[in-house]
Amino acid sequence: MNDCERMEDSIGPWLDGELSAAESELVRAHVTACARCGEARLRLETIDRALSSVLVAEAPKIEFASFWRELQQRIEQKTPWHKRLLERASDWTSAPTAAWAVPVLIAVLIAVLSYESYFPIRRSRNNFATVESIDSHGRNVALLREDESKTTVIWLYQNQEGDDEAAEETPPAGPAF
Amino acid sequence: MKLLKKLPRRVLLFSWLSLVVAGTLGAAEKQPQSVQVSIGTILAGNQSDDFDVKLKGMEGQLKVLKYRSYRLLKQESQDVPWRGAKVFEIPGGRSLTVTPQEFQDNRVSMKVRLTQGQKPVLDTTVKIPNKGNFILGGPPHEGGVLVLSISAAAQ
Repeated sequence: MNDCERMEDSIGPWLDGELSAAESELVRAHVTACARCGEARLRLETIDRALSSVLVAEAPKIEFASFWRELQQRIEQKTPWHKRLLERASDWTSAPTAAWAVPVLIAVLIAVLSYESYFPIRRSRNNFATVESIDSHGRNVALLREDESKTTVIWLYQNQEGDDEAAEETPPAGPAF
Repeated sequence: MKLLKKLPRRVLLFSWLSLVVAGTLGAAEKQPQSVQVSIGTILAGNQSDDFDVKLKGMEGQLKVLKYRSYRLLKQESQDVPWRGAKVFEIPGGRSLTVTPQEFQDNRVSMKVRLTQGQKPVLDTTVKIPNKGNFILGGPPHEGGVLVLSISAAAQ
């Protein structure tokens, strides 16, 4: 690319006042000295003048009011709730957000599986005490489980032979289970 | 694009949270250190209709025995280590030795021995729901009978 080609690219911005003072001075000096670039400058100035005169003449005829009115309407227009819901749902189910589902699922599974140990008081399964073995050393013994109060009772009856000190006492008759 | 950048951090944070929750829930399954064993010694009889107000909480259970009067003579609680024995003194020269065996499925298994002086009266192994109880009754005392409410709460 020679000097003129580089300068031709700068003539437009120079005419529009977009160059720095030093660059402007450089372009101005070149355009004054170079006939080819001087022609390019004249061409651009002619186009600019022609366009400006057309725009100035036609601009008042363009109807901008309806354009602004429509734009305003579109800004103020509310999206229906079902559309908003759909948009939100599609956001949530999109791949990056759906990744949340994995740890959430893990947490829910842990919570469900651990529910019984975490809230043991709520379990209804067998609230009775269970007697696994019993040795009453020759005495009579009764075992009772009562549903309503969920009570397990081991009842020792008085030894008939009276082999202990307490046997000398006379207890009331045993409970009528 | 921003969301994509933040996502790994968020997922990591949530996974940590899940682990913490799992740890907390898992801790609930851990073997407790000891058992708080409580023995309530009650005198039941038919000489009056007095019902000790201190026994209001277990009125439903005592009704099963069909005595007319109930009086709390003694209430004692002790922390007992697993497989360690603790002796509870029972009126009338008796003693009750309780040895917790294991904690499984939210139930406390324990050996219970009732003795009269040196003589064994009863040996039993009972599994009771955690914080539940069972009743051991029958030994005669002061014209009535002793009713022992034996409860256990894993600590």
